[in-house]
Amino acid sequence: MILFLVRRLGHGLFVLLLVSTVTFASMMAAPGGPSLLADPKLSVTERAAIETRLGLDQPATVQYTRWLGRAVRGDLGASFLYQTSSLATISARLPQTLLLAGTALLLTLGVGIPLGISAAARPGSFWDRFVTLSSGIALAVPAFWLGLMSILVFAVWARALPAGGAVTEGDVVGLADRVRHLLLPALVLAAAGCAEVVRYTRSAARTTLALPFIQAARARGISSRRVMWRHVLPHALLSVVNVIGLQLPRLVGGAAITETVFSWPGMGRLGVEAALGRDYPLVMAVTLVVSAGVVIASIVADVTQLLMDPRIRAT
Amino acid sequence: MSCCVKWMCVSLCVVTACSGGAAHSDNTLRLPLINDPIFNPVIAPDIGSVMVNKVLFPGLVRPDEALRPVPDLAVSWHAAADGLSWTFALRAGVTWHDGATFTARDVKYTFDQILDLASGSRLRSDFAAVVGVDIVDSLTVRFRLKAPFAPLLPLLGYNAGILPEHILKGTKLTDAVAFNRTSPVGTGPFRIERVAPGSSVTLVRNARYYGATPGVERIVFKIVPDINAQVAQLRAGELDLITIEPANLGSVQGVAGVRLLQVPVVQHWYVGFNASTPMFASPLVRRALGYAINRPAIVRGVLKGYGDLPGGTIPVALRDYYDSSAAPIPYAPDSTRRLLASAGWNAGPDGTLRNGRGEPFAFDLLVDKGNPTREQSALAVQQDLGRIGVKVSIRAMEFAALVRDRVLPGTYAAVLIWWTTPPDPDQFSFYVTSQDNNHVKWSNRTADSLLALGRATTDTGQRHEIYRAFQQLEREDPPVLVLFYPREIQAVSTRLHGIPNLGIRDALRHSERFRFAK
Repeated sequence: MILFLVRRLGHGLFVLLLVSTVTFASMMAAPGGPSLLADPKLSVTERAAIETRLGLDQPATVQYTRWLGRAVRGDLGASFLYQTSSLATISARLPQTLLLAGTALLLTLGVGIPLGISAAARPGSFWDRFVTLSSGIALAVPAFWLGLMSILVFAVWARALPAGGAVTEGDVVGLADRVRHLLLPALVLAAAGCAEVVRYTRSAARTTLALPFIQAARARGISSRRVMWRHVLPHALLSVVNVIGLQLPRLVGGAAITETVFSWPGMGRLGVEAALGRDYPLVMAVTLVVSAGVVIASIVADVTQLLMDPRIRAT
Repeated sequence: MSCCVKWMCVSLCVVTACSGGAAHSDNTLRLPLINDPIFNPVIAPDIGSVMVNKVLFPGLVRPDEALRPVPDLAVSWHAAADGLSWTFALRAGVTWHDGATFTARDVKYTFDQILDLASGSRLRSDFAAVVGVDIVDSLTVRFRLKAPFAPLLPLLGYNAGILPEHILKGTKLTDAVAFNRTSPVGTGPFRIERVAPGSSVTLVRNARYYGATPGVERIVFKIVPDINAQVAQLRAGELDLITIEPANLGSVQGVAGVRLLQVPVVQHWYVGFNASTPMFASPLVRRALGYAINRPAIVRGVLKGYGDLPGGTIPVALRDYYDSSAAPIPYAPDSTRRLLASAGWNAGPDGTLRNGRGEPFAFDLLVDKGNPTREQSALAVQQDLGRIGVKVSIRAMEFAALVRDRVLPGTYAAVLIWWTTPPDPDQFSFYVTSQDNNHVKWSNRTADSLLALGRATTDTGQRHEIYRAFQQLEREDPPVLVLFYPREIQAVSTRLHGIPNLGIRDALRHSERFRFAK
């Protein structure tokens, strides 16, 4: 067990090193450069002074080695745009993204699985067709459009929900205020993933319904509602779990768009801003934090599996 | 299942019912920013920071609605007869937001930082003519100059906000993280109250402000990076003033509670031809191409009327210097053909212009990606020039890549771009031979001496004549093909009053004037 953990951690560190190298190289190869230097009004001497101050006058390999040397000591450098520690900048934003993505994931599962099961219960019914069609639409509509439309409907026309931000500025922040701000972005972020879960759950449940043990349960006179939720659902979930794993990258990527449309102060938007501004230290830090999250999540998943499934433990 | 749906509907209703309407009745002005600002006018690189810093950090002067400098932290000033020194009498009784007294030491400290490139200063080229600032007494400073420099006053009212020496002395400006990010101290009508990273910056009325009592209690700068989201928030009553592109007009026109204002700004938008390429070296060719552009159609179609037709590079917003005696550059494609023929470009059988060696008149026009006004203008230019047989290919690139990889190294033929300048006609750094910002590599000896004379002359009447001569010269030898002078379109809550008739950045130098209708 200990050996397994050590090996996985070693792998994880190697992945992070690889990610940082690739990120740095592609950033250097990208056209343009730090937006700090892209001001056509700067004089040649001003530009040179900025490059020297930020170490951009050094060759890329030197810049990378310097960055790596500091990174192993826990210093990810100061953001060009924010002129302060990249880690501090990220840690101010990360909780907001976790809140948004976490809520969206709960919505995805909490809404998607029951809808999928209920649609599968009466295949071909109006409800089934309605759910299938809506999930098709939710999958097809781009998040930024859905976001703007929901702002238009709920904030501009109905004036029922705020158009953006995480809290009402300048007011005392209560839980209700937070929930009201969270509702639209979380729903929009959850929409596509939810639709996917609906479809997977529905088809998994339909497959399960055809299995003999369901026939047997029915034959024992168990109500169809109970069959659906007690017998079909757990079995169908086994295959749905894989899809849930696939939601994580979608949530991270989707957060960048949703956060921009809803002015949500999260890390996704920060990453986009950093990439557009070619804020090298901040891009590196955001990439590293996200990759570390993925690495840790996969280790946790592996360990969980190890503890739960005797077949894997045995090998 | 249906009970589940019902439950969701009920909870949605409960949540929305708590809202009590989105319109704010408190005395707070809400403005958008596109990113987190850096509270330091000397080192801040971006437009968002500039807006907030104009409120927090007054300068020695500020522009009035005619863009002429009027007293702010300085109450009076005079230049020495040789123009090599300027003496400013500072306002007495001004206190910093932390209660300390504002003195001449703060002014000297600020300009020491501005002139020191190692400080991270982004204002040095603005004040390259300044040798140093001396303290005469606690409320008098003297600027020493290398040469007479007329733009000094407009530049002092532009981005040069004064920093507190007592807080920053001994710290490298770029290392003053607490000051720059969370707790700035200025002398302006509003002081910092709270910073929520990525979300908002709240300023509150400064009771010690030396000027008129500010009309609103708070200014909240909300970070809303997306223009469509800004429009939505304005319509929802969550923002009070935004600046929009002509492409956004449709979503604010005729909306209850929103009115539109327009202000000429000190910008000229142009197609820059790289004069160091053989194709564009001749003044005749650049002048000819200018006549081929249907500018009234661009102003009508692309700007929806929110722009002015140009004569030269000095925009109409500079009313003391814009040459109103001449009509705007005419749309005369026949003149273009004639002039180009005399420059050796004749239409071949396919209608394309070719020179004596049979090479076609064709080039790439660079434009930055994502701005509808510039992209549509580039299309209009392509069509207009296509009509006279010039083949233009549009290359859209990200702005940073466009500037860094093409414009600065001079590896381009033509670029559609713009200059935003301080409220002064001085264009020395843009259009004098071999200056750093002369990206179009234009060179005209007469213009060189006119522009040198213009920045050295402090008498407004004489300056007017100098810049009139420069604008007349531009008619013969255009440095760039000016497309139009845009007007800033401000979409504003009808409750908001006291808005100065200035572009938003200059208007924020008068932030105490904004107020809401009772």
